[in-house]
Amino acid sequence: MTVLASPRPLRATRTASAVSIAGLTKRFFVRRTWTAAMRAPLLREKRLALAGIDLEVAEGEFLGLLGPNGAGKTTLFKVLSTLILPDAGSATVLGQDVVRSPAGTRRLLAPVIADERSLHWRLSAEENLRLFAALHGVPRRAVEGRARELLALVGLDATAAQLVGTFSSGMKQRLLVARALLARPRVLLLDEPTRSLDPISARALRSFLRDELVGNQGCTVLLATHSADEAFDLCDRVAVLDRGRLLATGPVERLAREVGDGRYRAWTRDAQHPAWQALGDRGVVAHVTEAVQDDEWTRIDVDVPGGMDQAAHVVDLLTCAGVRVARFERAPLTLAELLDRIVARRAGGPDA
Amino acid sequence: MRETLALMRASWLTATSYRLGMAMSLAGLIVTILPMYFVAGALQPVLAERISNEGGHYFGFLVVGVIAFSFLSTAVNAVPGAMASGIASGTLEAMLSTRARLGALVAGLVGYGFTWTAVRAAMTIVMAVLLGVRFSAGHSGVAVLILLLIVMAYFAIGLMAAAMVLAFRTTGPLPQVVLLLSGLLGGVYYPTSVIPSWIQSVSSVVPLTYGLRALRRVWLDGAPVGEVVPDVLVLAGMAIALLTLGIGIFAAGMRYARRAGTLAQY
Repeated sequence: MTVLASPRPLRATRTASAVSIAGLTKRFFVRRTWTAAMRAPLLREKRLALAGIDLEVAEGEFLGLLGPNGAGKTTLFKVLSTLILPDAGSATVLGQDVVRSPAGTRRLLAPVIADERSLHWRLSAEENLRLFAALHGVPRRAVEGRARELLALVGLDATAAQLVGTFSSGMKQRLLVARALLARPRVLLLDEPTRSLDPISARALRSFLRDELVGNQGCTVLLATHSADEAFDLCDRVAVLDRGRLLATGPVERLAREVGDGRYRAWTRDAQHPAWQALGDRGVVAHVTEAVQDDEWTRIDVDVPGGMDQAAHVVDLLTCAGVRVARFERAPLTLAELLDRIVARRAGGPDA
Repeated sequence: MRETLALMRASWLTATSYRLGMAMSLAGLIVTILPMYFVAGALQPVLAERISNEGGHYFGFLVVGVIAFSFLSTAVNAVPGAMASGIASGTLEAMLSTRARLGALVAGLVGYGFTWTAVRAAMTIVMAVLLGVRFSAGHSGVAVLILLLIVMAYFAIGLMAAAMVLAFRTTGPLPQVVLLLSGLLGGVYYPTSVIPSWIQSVSSVVPLTYGLRALRRVWLDGAPVGEVVPDVLVLAGMAIALLTLGIGIFAAGMRYARRAGTLAQY
């Protein structure tokens, strides 16, 4: 992938907040079975997709949206893209209200809704970009250069004349990103942009997003992802959604620290030593998990409530019991664990 | 305008990528018009008197009816078809999130269909002329105006059907009912005077009845434009009223889809 040429000057209303969301609520009607509809024809059941979301995203910020499937990430993106009207609350993009000024919003924001079907499969990659350049109002004289530039950017310049229907999923995904960048949006919404990419292309795209788009062009990016790499590597902040509720926001390291501060990893040759069981029974550690084994060493993850002092105490106890521990270090949480803990903490569960 | 032309170009490129389909469509014209010519010849003695003030020749009468009906079919089916395929393919959502205005998008999505219908109509006219139909060339402008009014009236029905696609994922029976009623009662294949009198009252609410009568009078019979003004005025009134209603219903359908989140559900 190459880097884009210098962008043209940006013309949006100057504001510190790129995206401002207040009390955003959306409910969808639930589709009922024929039997249920016959029994109670007038009953209209609704499912909460967004429950009073409050969120501020600063200009030039890279915000990750995390959450399980059905958390409301895509609905939030569609509201911001003016494709769905909210039931209550408000959302503005660089000062443009998404409900009152949808056209103004679309001039500043572009979504990459990661659905390959939204490309014209019987057109070439270049023709797809030409079409959307016209729809985005890219100046006629700039279209050809812009299309070539973006195709080179996403590594599709060699296949520009090829029908999109013959593309692999990864190629289509890259074309979707190129299409969204046509109009040089000030705010970009990315819904799992690296889902179908190979690791090398995914890394190149991530580096482009962070270094060029956000770093050099000052674009604000909202990224919905299930990838821990993306969230940890790219995002200044993450927002965690679950069942339409915003559970937490903040820098990903801080959230990880807040909910997973007590996670430690030990490398030992004595994984079956009764001392491990004893630590658990005495409540010194919780959630002992034996993770990876090679020929001699076993990796054991433990949750140690009570901070560093308690961790030091655990090492003492193990050493005194004769357990051979080569390393004992703070361990990072996986994204799934982070989400589990945030959701559980909000629900007042065992990890709270 | 640029967005509209870009979408029409995309549709053209898509259509030409199915080369066999396009060739078959043009070949189908010849296959259709020749049997029509022979059947019309056979029925000429029976219908000559009935159509004496609409050109007097049944083949010409039929050709004009078929051309008008092809525009009518496009007008009724183009928008709901474009919406349904845009929703199913996901392209509608992508297009609606661009800066293009909704009107320009709709025009672009149906523009190619109308252009293709016009090309087929032109080819039909050429073949009809070769087979002996005499059109009043001096009245071609008026004929085009009447065709435009027919298209406007039925495009409104297409907008209503498209609103149903946006809201409920189906047009229901609306397009089929409209096409059937217009085909049977609008005078496409036979003059409305042969219809039993109790059904004729229904044909008086069909816009095509007025459009086709006026079209044939000026284009085949060479009647002065003044003679068809009453029919044209009724047709224009219907077109304006229906179009206003159609645009309103389409806008409501789009609002509903945005509220219900069904723009990309198929």
